[in-house]
Amino acid sequence: MNVFDRIVIVCSKIFMLFIRVFRLGSGATWPGEFVLRFRPAILKAFASQDGKIILVAGTNGKTTTAKMIDTILRYAGMRVRRNESGANLDNGIVSAFVHDSDWFGNLRSRYSIFEVDEATLPKLLEELSPHMIVLLNLFRDQLDRYGEVDAIAEKWMNALVNMNSRFVCIINGDDPQLAFIGKRLIHHDVRFFGIDDSELFLPSAEHAMDASYCPECGNKLTFGGVYFSHLGKWACGRCGFIHPELSLTAKDVVSPLEGTYNIYNTLAASLTGLALGISREHIAKALSSFSPAFGRMEQITFHRRRVTILLSKNPTGLNESLRTVLRSSKKGPIVFLLNDRIADGRDVSWIWDADMEMVSDVDIPVIVSGDRRCDMAVRLKYAGVSSSRIHVFDLTDEAMKYAISRTTVDDHIWVLPTYTAMLGVRKYLLGRKIL
Amino acid sequence: MNLIVGWLYPDLMSTYGDRGNIVVLKKRCEWRGIDVKICSITFDTSEQDIQQCDIVIGGGAQDRQQKLVIEDLRRRKGGILKELFNENKVGLFVCGSPQLLGHYYMTGDGEKLQGLGIFDMVTKHFGKDKPRCIGNLVAEISDRFKVSHLPFRPTIVGFENHGGRTYLGNGVSSFARVIKGFGNNGEDGTEGAMYKHCIATYAHGPFLSKNPHIADWLIYTALSIKYKKTVHLDPLPDDLEWKAHEYACSL
Repeated sequence: MNVFDRIVIVCSKIFMLFIRVFRLGSGATWPGEFVLRFRPAILKAFASQDGKIILVAGTNGKTTTAKMIDTILRYAGMRVRRNESGANLDNGIVSAFVHDSDWFGNLRSRYSIFEVDEATLPKLLEELSPHMIVLLNLFRDQLDRYGEVDAIAEKWMNALVNMNSRFVCIINGDDPQLAFIGKRLIHHDVRFFGIDDSELFLPSAEHAMDASYCPECGNKLTFGGVYFSHLGKWACGRCGFIHPELSLTAKDVVSPLEGTYNIYNTLAASLTGLALGISREHIAKALSSFSPAFGRMEQITFHRRRVTILLSKNPTGLNESLRTVLRSSKKGPIVFLLNDRIADGRDVSWIWDADMEMVSDVDIPVIVSGDRRCDMAVRLKYAGVSSSRIHVFDLTDEAMKYAISRTTVDDHIWVLPTYTAMLGVRKYLLGRKIL
Repeated sequence: MNLIVGWLYPDLMSTYGDRGNIVVLKKRCEWRGIDVKICSITFDTSEQDIQQCDIVIGGGAQDRQQKLVIEDLRRRKGGILKELFNENKVGLFVCGSPQLLGHYYMTGDGEKLQGLGIFDMVTKHFGKDKPRCIGNLVAEISDRFKVSHLPFRPTIVGFENHGGRTYLGNGVSSFARVIKGFGNNGEDGTEGAMYKHCIATYAHGPFLSKNPHIADWLIYTALSIKYKKTVHLDPLPDDLEWKAHEYACSL
């Protein structure tokens, strides 16, 4: 880190202070953007300082997993920095570094946990040379922005194979596309996690399977069972590409949150902790007090109702949210909030890949709002929900007020929003902005 | 009355909620008491099974899957599909289908991929420097899609996302005229193509969900051809669908 880097960091810190004092935002991206403008190679300078960098990538579960790893490390007495507001592009990561550094640009925390955007991972791998990389899953998500699942997997593979420094890679072995990447990383310490519990298999495969063909030979994979989407006990009958051996499975952990997807997040975080030399007992204790990240199974009390927000931004995420709601003993109205802003993806076709049919014969009010509420209402109608049961509201506040009117004190209300809709409803429920 | 709907490669041609078109057709038939059988057309579907279809629906595929599909179609199924459409059977192809149905698709690297040649058109990709056509699409359609007593609007709405640009030959007409968006190539105002009763559009995914008039035109035309008479379709309460249509028009 040279003197120019340090000057820009000082300016950026003043900028950050200014943003916070005048409440212009959370300062999670702009200070980083500012530094990158003048010092584009700043990430390398930060990464060359002493410390360990852990990157968490995947379509779903990044924020929750990163927060779990954070919880585990802090419980073990370590100092950790994280891009906690979910700002997972390079400007968010630079902002997290700036925030953590002193006025001379020296980092205070030894550990960095960064969740990273699928498309940004290859660039960050090159610039940060991380010590650990956690790969959670790859599902179809915002195709207008990210492109197709196969294309992302290929970019990840190339970036990882071309890395010069050695790293530990924690991979979800139940995802065939990620297992394939793991198999190619012969020079690195690769460890797999997976569920391995046939009681958690779905009765039949879902429509939203994004990797049902062998990444090695292109043959159709056979599944002994699936947990959701294409995550399961898979094997290729032609080329012999098989499910990798697992270092950690569902019976080894207790997930602090409901939902099968949270078992995966718990496994990923726990295996990361184990690889860093933390004991199983410590990890279990740390996670027993885990509180969810914003909008991810987050519970908010509103007008004496228990509102749970489950961010649902792609078919697999929405399916898992619906299953979590329907399996839960807590019954209550479901509020769907569908937006199509840049951060959500402009294209809302994806709701037709989610199995909305799950709510067709459940006796609970179905409430719909958001910019693309009509699209969601049509989807629900064709899923078999009778039109008289679909309550559409122009504004989120009206939708929430209606949910309140259909419940009594201590009742549950489930809110399933896309990303920007989540920020909006959260602001309404808490009366303030995020973080 | 009954209809058999052929669904081309449900697990390979399914990228943007494409199954929505099948769901919409099925429900709109069921609500009117018309029996529907969905016939999944996969690698091992027999020629006879394909020949029985009254409507054929195709969705969008990722690159690798698209190659598998084209190989299989070119081997034998493409010819059968061509015969079907020549016999006036009904078809709807969304997403990248113009690339599949035309004479050829020229990739960004200059490679010429042979298409099925059912539609007189060609598609070219001009490389990574030319931006993809992404966004909401609104286009104008002619009265030919009007079913006598059913509600009609002269527009179609959808979302497009394609790198290739399609140019129509003399043997096909366009499906619609672009009002907002790119359509076939962003230059000549054409959107999609029409060959006899087969529609190809760049609108992707659940196209029929916000275009109930096109869904009904497909059902009506397929029944009329199958039963060789003018059939009557009951109107359905489509308030939600038209609201979604109007909202998409306003984007």
